[in-house]
Amino acid sequence: MTDPTVAAGDRSSAIRLVGVEKRFPRAPAPAVDDLNLDIAEGKLVVFVGPSGCGKTTTLKMINRLIEPTAGEIHVLGREIRSIKTSELRRQIGYVIQQIGLFPHKTIADNIATVPKLLRWDKRRIADRVNELVELVGLDPSMLRRYPAELSGGQQQRVGVARALAADPPILLMDEPYSAVDPIVRAHLQDELLALQHRVRKTIVLVTHDIDEAIKLGEEVVIFATGGVVAQHGPPAELLANPASPFVESFLGEERGLKRLSLLRVSDLDLQPGLVVDADADPSTAVQVMKSHGSDWIGVVEGDRLLGWTWLRSLEGCTRVGDAPLDYFRAQVAPDTPLRKVLDGIVNSHTRVAVVVDATDRYLGMITIDHLAEGIR
Amino acid sequence: MNAVLAQADLRDQLVSWEWISRRYDQIWDAAVSHLWLTVFAVVVGFVISVPLAAVALRWRRTYAPIAWVTGFLYTIPSLALFAFLVPILGLGFATAQVALVSYTLLILIRNIVAGVDGVPASVKEAADGMGYSPLRRFVEVDLRLATPTIIAGVRIAAVTIVGLVTITSLVGEGGFGVFILDGLRRSFPTPVVLGVVLSVILAVAIDVALVLVERLLTPWARREVRR
Repeated sequence: MTDPTVAAGDRSSAIRLVGVEKRFPRAPAPAVDDLNLDIAEGKLVVFVGPSGCGKTTTLKMINRLIEPTAGEIHVLGREIRSIKTSELRRQIGYVIQQIGLFPHKTIADNIATVPKLLRWDKRRIADRVNELVELVGLDPSMLRRYPAELSGGQQQRVGVARALAADPPILLMDEPYSAVDPIVRAHLQDELLALQHRVRKTIVLVTHDIDEAIKLGEEVVIFATGGVVAQHGPPAELLANPASPFVESFLGEERGLKRLSLLRVSDLDLQPGLVVDADADPSTAVQVMKSHGSDWIGVVEGDRLLGWTWLRSLEGCTRVGDAPLDYFRAQVAPDTPLRKVLDGIVNSHTRVAVVVDATDRYLGMITIDHLAEGIR
Repeated sequence: MNAVLAQADLRDQLVSWEWISRRYDQIWDAAVSHLWLTVFAVVVGFVISVPLAAVALRWRRTYAPIAWVTGFLYTIPSLALFAFLVPILGLGFATAQVALVSYTLLILIRNIVAGVDGVPASVKEAADGMGYSPLRRFVEVDLRLATPTIIAGVRIAAVTIVGLVTITSLVGEGGFGVFILDGLRRSFPTPVVLGVVLSVILAVAIDVALVLVERLLTPWARREVRR
């Protein structure tokens, strides 16, 4: 496990790069130039940028697969050149695009790689392997198989389990999902987020896919060609205030939609919306509708939302609740991403989404205007 | 008179079973000696080849000179090599082994280098990233995964050496080659045929044994791919 002498020191930043430069022999320009970066402990940070921007080079300098030509890199408070390379790497989980499982070892032995290098005893290794198989969602029957017998998605899960085996405080992931198909990729991304929720590692993930960066990153570092940081911050902030035309173009089209996908219903200031009580007099309801220029109204009873009704349906009713009610198509929860709310709104008759919690309590109503205000 | 006739009769036959049946002990000794000369040469050749291949893999520039020198050794005719070695090492085991071992090097080094080169770069990178030391990675990952190619080289080397051992009978260490030499000197076909047939059988037996060794060493390659 973690060497206490390494874990000591500066706790606030798990990884710190100071003036790091990498020039490859015979290359006209540096791949990474005077890079300064602080990566906070327990954060999932994504390096993203066009090819040749130095993001992978930077990642590989952290575990010394590539040696910088200038500058300092501190991992958990220690300059990495003061640690024996193999010791450093055993404290940093590493996942690569091609996965690189050992074809000659069973899945169990692949996962046990680093614990074996660290000379854990057999009992402890076996327990840890079983724990990891559960953590990454693999079937325990696979443990005795060889990597060639597994699908790409399963192999990638094994790759993550292997990287986490010795419980390293830091995890480096180099384009981990670019070799799997889009459906499996989305699954694996969700799994990573759930996993990170449980294990809280410092994760640095490299990708060229800005949507993956926005989805996964608590912080996103956008690299520009030549290994310089174009912008560094939480994805919502980048989308709201791109620092340069380069960042703006790299973030791509539909920045508003991308921001909506980052925010959730609970981030909005919810309004009760266009509703009346089921016991109200129809004339009251008509008045409310008229004042809002609407031809429909929602009907509530206590804290339950019963549905909605047309203005014309209220004719001849003694109370609003007697009118024939329709249900709201777009029903969302407090943790629904706003992008999904927007989708619901444009697909509904009433042009609103209604928010109810897990116990069916009515919380409010969202219109397009609310969404636009919410991301402002 | 009868004895002389019998002798002549025996000479005219291609294979005299009677001659063979009187020499089972000698044949057994020759088999052991032939196998020992072969195994010794291949094992020593392998022990020399692994570090040389490691050097060639680590420092690419050394591969050309290593291949050049071992390639040169490989091309020297064996008779010429004996003529050169006998004045130094005399007749016997040492001379025979110097010749035999030097013939294995090119084949073994080439196959080790090719085998390790064939190990996927991603697997090597993952091993480095996990914290394998370079030596440990070379032994536990690179060589291990190169096993099929390396064994292919060992098979070629072993079969080659079985053939060459028949020639080292010229320096007094020949296994079945002693029969061949004897038969040629006396224009007597039986020992020649015996030596040739037994050499071929030994070569095939060693080859089959090595195939089995490879299967034992690469259990992962036998699993059918299920997806």
